Amino acid sequence: MNIQIENNPLRFAEELLSNLKASEDMGLLRCVQCGMCTSVCPGAKNSDYNPRDMVEKVLEGEESIINSEKIWNCFYCYTCHSVCPVGNSPCEVNQILRQIAIDKGIVNDKISPFAGYGDSFLDIGIGAMPKRFFMELNEDIEGWLDFKSELEEIRDELDLGPITIPKESIEEINVLLKKVDFDKRIKKMKSY
Amino acid sequence: MKSIPDKNILLFKSCLVSTEYPGIESSTKHIFDKIAVEYLIDHDQSCCTGLGYYSDVFDQVSTTLIAARNFHIAKKNDAKNLVVMCATCYAINKKSLKLLNSNDFLREKINKVFEDSSMKDMRYEKGSLDSLNNIFHVVEILFNKKDEIAKYLTVDLSKFRIATHHACHYCKVQYEDTIEGFRNPRILDELVEAMGFKTIDWYNTKRSTCGAGFRQRFVNKGLSMKVTGDKLLELNDESVDILVHMCPNCQMQFDRYQPYLSKKLEVDFKMVHLNVTQLIALAIGGNPYKIVGIQTHTVPVDPLIEKIPRNKI
Repeated sequence: MNIQIENNPLRFAEELLSNLKASEDMGLLRCVQCGMCTSVCPGAKNSDYNPRDMVEKVLEGEESIINSEKIWNCFYCYTCHSVCPVGNSPCEVNQILRQIAIDKGIVNDKISPFAGYGDSFLDIGIGAMPKRFFMELNEDIEGWLDFKSELEEIRDELDLGPITIPKESIEEINVLLKKVDFDKRIKKMKSY
Repeated sequence: MKSIPDKNILLFKSCLVSTEYPGIESSTKHIFDKIAVEYLIDHDQSCCTGLGYYSDVFDQVSTTLIAARNFHIAKKNDAKNLVVMCATCYAINKKSLKLLNSNDFLREKINKVFEDSSMKDMRYEKGSLDSLNNIFHVVEILFNKKDEIAKYLTVDLSKFRIATHHACHYCKVQYEDTIEGFRNPRILDELVEAMGFKTIDWYNTKRSTCGAGFRQRFVNKGLSMKVTGDKLLELNDESVDILVHMCPNCQMQFDRYQPYLSKKLEVDFKMVHLNVTQLIALAIGGNPYKIVGIQTHTVPVDPLIEKIPRNKI
């Protein structure tokens, strides 16, 4: 009788390792499940996010982890990355899982609020905080919008140059980013 | 130990410095001019994409393409040393440069984009810049010149209790390139001490993130504020007067949300938030409004300024 091994259980982990967001020589396959990542994680301390568990699922080939709500509680603070004894980076694993979910178009509700970062980059060459958050920021931070209206004046007082970049540079950036379909990526994020 | 430059520097513009705490830029320029660090600013340089990248909006190809364009601007100006004021600019540019040098496929893809866009001169040649030796945070330039800066001190801030908040994206992302430690990061403490002031050095949450967490501040505010609040509570127990920063995003999280958290937690937080360049600019006599830029702060810095003798600033 032939024993057929149908799946390479590490195929998913290997896919993650080949992602551009993974640092060179990321120690994903060297993970010993020690839990150091979880013990230092601000997300784990204050929510049900568990980076050790997330890495375990990746190593077991459980691709459904990309559907998990919990992975959206990572702060991208890299504390796990900086203490991992085998050079793994749960923080980067998380970023890649989110990217896979985004590429599949299954988390547009999560990502669309932030699409404004892309729009403003194409408009003014700065990834500015999306306008949809302004009112809440102004409610939480007294005088924030008033300060914004005085910003140019204050920058003059400080003898600083313009915030935005010249029109020719903005056009240049648009040409470049459109060549790698960045505009389509942003458009797709917004459709749900 | 990497060698730290004092010339051929592109002072890399940051979106959050420009729009939230422009005083970080004017303070940096003030100190650089004082100690004759040669730098230039090029307004063609775009933002690094960092806030969008870490909100999962920018993919790695787009971010690296933008970085390659900015690297071209640096080289064109004979300013091949990028000096950043924001920890996320530091992490983003280092990551992109490492990829451009090590990943032939990505480099060729990006060079092809430049060619197809009639911007052939922007081509990135492998090894033309180096992540370790061409990308620096402002604090590293200052650390290298700390004794020289100290000669210009006019204001004694030693009566204030000072603590430091080391930005995660400086200390923890490319931690192998960090100077003065990352398990107990001390580069800010060393800088403050070089000015003749003391810090409280280690405290339990010293390594903790500011809590901004990119998306978390905006769509998961309870989680974000819990982390920020925990750190503020410990610093408050330590009776800290000044928290010293090195990243505008961390500074925004603590300074902008401190009054909000005071209300939520019913604790009257009084500490003031200053970037290390603002603290040093103040200590060498920089005008609080024309150099240090305290007018953009949410927690008023004036009460602290009022404790400094008038003839010193």
